[in-house]
Amino acid sequence: MTDAKKRQGDGLSEADAIERAKQGDAEAFESLYNLHKRRVYSLCLRMTANTAAAEDLTQEAFLQLFRKIGTFRGESAFSTWLHRMAVNVVLMQLRKKGLPVVPLEENIETEEETPRKEPGADDPRLAGSIDRMQLQRSIASLPPGYRMIFLLHDVEGYEHNEIAEMVGCSIGNSKSQLHKARMKLREILKTSRAEKATKP
Amino acid sequence: MTCEEFKRVLPELGSGHGIEQEEHLKSCCACSDLVADLNAISKEARFLQGSEDPSPWVWNSIEVALRQEGLIRQPQLHPQTPAPLLGWRLRWLVPLAATLLMVFGVLIYQRGTGQPQMSEQHSPPAGVVTANLQPADVMGGEDLQLLKTVGERTPSMRATYEADLRSVNAYIRDAEQSAHSDPNDEVAQQYLRNAYEQKAMVYEMALDRSLP
Repeated sequence: MTDAKKRQGDGLSEADAIERAKQGDAEAFESLYNLHKRRVYSLCLRMTANTAAAEDLTQEAFLQLFRKIGTFRGESAFSTWLHRMAVNVVLMQLRKKGLPVVPLEENIETEEETPRKEPGADDPRLAGSIDRMQLQRSIASLPPGYRMIFLLHDVEGYEHNEIAEMVGCSIGNSKSQLHKARMKLREILKTSRAEKATKP
Repeated sequence: MTCEEFKRVLPELGSGHGIEQEEHLKSCCACSDLVADLNAISKEARFLQGSEDPSPWVWNSIEVALRQEGLIRQPQLHPQTPAPLLGWRLRWLVPLAATLLMVFGVLIYQRGTGQPQMSEQHSPPAGVVTANLQPADVMGGEDLQLLKTVGERTPSMRATYEADLRSVNAYIRDAEQSAHSDPNDEVAQQYLRNAYEQKAMVYEMALDRSLP
């Protein structure tokens, strides 16, 4: 489905909504908000792990977008423009609060550094058995910098070069942080599954 | 290729692997399991995109801000356009809703101050509104614009909306004072959200939703 063909329940296409929003049409703004609110809010919520902060950031992202909608010329997809803006709002907020956006010096002990177990029959693959709720909780427990890169790449689908530009790190650093985040998640998920299995 | 060598290059590998890495994966269960797990995590993560809904007050706050900044403009009047039948049918709801809003606002205010106060629409609540209650002092440019539009469309409704706006503006100021005096007070925050929602509702009714 292309952006231009995205339609709301009231039949207003995204392209129509953008044009009407430029004229100051209240319904058009609401229509655009309804089309994109879930993705923007989910992104904010996972990055901050705080409902109130996520709602404030969602509000700020949409306000920034609507203030600048007159300059949107359609060279890029509207959703790309909006989500990039949402990411920037979150990053700016995290920086203001002094939270690390990219962990350069963090030394998280993952399975890579720990002594390896012998490949045993009681340590099966995670594949096919990942509980989505558990994955959400595990992501929330990641250090902020790792979480940021993981969310941008694996959840939001940004490429490493885009992430590097957004957060201000090298492409190599982005790849390295993503790998460490995935390794950490694997470790958490395996531990969680093992604990569940030992419970009566 | 050893496991150590494979793990060293793993962060650099994208979705595909080179011949050397593929050969290693075929012969090493541990690395093969590791890659399968990381891919599964990555695949599952994509389903988390856009899975949460914000609370309704987020849009209400955005709408209020857009109106205050003048980004939402008044709809143009088209006298030659026939009014929608539904609008006429529902028109009687406007004064009813406005009255309910006004009563609700007064009740909320009385609860907040603890002073019995009979509803005098044009007498401002003491301690909330400043002494000179001229429309320009109490209402912003957007409010006056709204009243102008309502007055042009249906002059008989103007007074009702003016009273509603005064009431809801007083409610907002009251709620803002409480919220500012104690930012951690959840009840005050909720009152403030309700106040903004009410104002948005007044605007909604006054504009194209109820009036033909």
